[in-house]
Amino acid sequence: MGRYLRLYACFVRFSFSRAMEFRLDFFFRIVMDLVWNAVHLGFFWLLFRHTTLLGGLDFDQAIVFAASFFLVDALHMTIFSNNMWWFPTLVNRGDLDYYLIRPVSPLFFLSLRDFAANSFVNLLAAVGILAWALARCPGSFSPGPLILFFLLLGGGLLLHFCLNLLFLLPVFWMHSASGTRELFFALSRYSQKPHGIFRGWVLRVLVTALPFALIASFPVNALFFGASLGRLAHVLAVVVGMFGLLLLVWRRGLAAYASASS
Amino acid sequence: MRARLFLQIASVEARRRLSYRADFWITSAAGFLVEFGALYFLWHAMYRNALQVGGWTLDAMVFYQAAVLLLGKLVRGPEFEGVISQDIYEGGLNRYLVYPLGYLRFKYAQHLGSLLPAALQFVLFGGSFLLFLDLPEGSGVTLAGLGMALGAVAVANLLHFLMSFPLQAVAFWADNVWSLTVAMRLITALLGGILVPLALFPGWARDLLAWTPFPHLFAIPAETLLGRIGPAEWARGLLVGLGWCAAFAAAGRAVWRRGDLQYSGVGI
Repeated sequence: MGRYLRLYACFVRFSFSRAMEFRLDFFFRIVMDLVWNAVHLGFFWLLFRHTTLLGGLDFDQAIVFAASFFLVDALHMTIFSNNMWWFPTLVNRGDLDYYLIRPVSPLFFLSLRDFAANSFVNLLAAVGILAWALARCPGSFSPGPLILFFLLLGGGLLLHFCLNLLFLLPVFWMHSASGTRELFFALSRYSQKPHGIFRGWVLRVLVTALPFALIASFPVNALFFGASLGRLAHVLAVVVGMFGLLLLVWRRGLAAYASASS
Repeated sequence: MRARLFLQIASVEARRRLSYRADFWITSAAGFLVEFGALYFLWHAMYRNALQVGGWTLDAMVFYQAAVLLLGKLVRGPEFEGVISQDIYEGGLNRYLVYPLGYLRFKYAQHLGSLLPAALQFVLFGGSFLLFLDLPEGSGVTLAGLGMALGAVAVANLLHFLMSFPLQAVAFWADNVWSLTVAMRLITALLGGILVPLALFPGWARDLLAWTPFPHLFAIPAETLLGRIGPAEWARGLLVGLGWCAAFAAAGRAVWRRGDLQYSGVGI
């Protein structure tokens, strides 16, 4: 465990020095992330000019929901996103070999090697927006629900990562992941909306097989309306199940990997 | 560049885009249905306690969202592709310098070819929507309206391409401008009418937007298809859109000329 932590510290250090080499890109990425946040907040602001409740959330709660998604997304962008972006290319070019011959877990190496230092600034912005969103909510939050909220957001981050990679792993068999990647981006829109707007089998899928509703919407619901033990057990089961599925598909994918021109 | 050569380049790109069939079907069928599904539920939730939102009925809103999603893909082209900035950054521009044709026109021909999957999606899902969805009351989807909408899409597509061109040309100075083009996509989605119809904006914002190129990208083509924009307004929109195209073409040329002077052709 200590070896992996030291290795991760090296990844972070290298990523920061690389980011500092490309200062303009560093700045552009911050602009992009801030625009993304502003567009989402603007979207909710426009919707709430015409309604008082959306999926059971009022405007203040919806802003907390949006800010919670910003936080999960900023963490994902900082920790995993660059690695996910390049993964299909590594498989197609046979560059995955480089990761397979190292004396560490290839999945660890591949998922965490590139720490996006430029998105780290966005992470700070997301934390700020969430603090602002929580502060503008009427009333105050006791520590228990807040701790549970952040724990559930941590589970949401892990789910986001698992789902992202699961949608890229078909590259081992299909030789192109651009279709499944676009499908993941399309499905991600379900995590950017309160799950209270969905109904029927779509809602059931969103909390089980494709658990996009558990990423930010469930944690926000738990914060404002509380969460039963059954619901927490459900979230835990889905997180463990998704991670297990990821490991299974990853192993199958590696077995199908034929190195260069795979 | 001769029209025949232009079409040839577009055709090669179109065939390349369809070479991965599984990708095409995942993107076309699943991608569209998934995206539309999220919007369908969102708007149903919005209308739970209201008959109209911003002057739009639920049927009209759902129809608008389907139209703007399909037409938007024809306007924007493939997602997250910075082919011009990549050519500059990786030195791929070199080979175009010796081609007997203009770089920008070559890239636009390729860009048009890359729209084939989106065009097939439009025919496939647009047709299905007309067959299976109830058309909103008073909606005037006609053949003439479809023709006018496609005209507006042609202008919007050129405008979108020319708007992203100066941003991609920033690659002469910066190593990675992908973030700038993504930022542009986000801004145009909100201010162009993809996320919500412009009627939901407050009056002062609508007045401001009327002076920008954004409504010409998505809102005008989609509203033309829905019969909300008459021929006179459509023609005026087309002219203003072309004016914006000229402005962005001039800006792009200026940026390109300055960047071209310092292009080393080495790549990374």
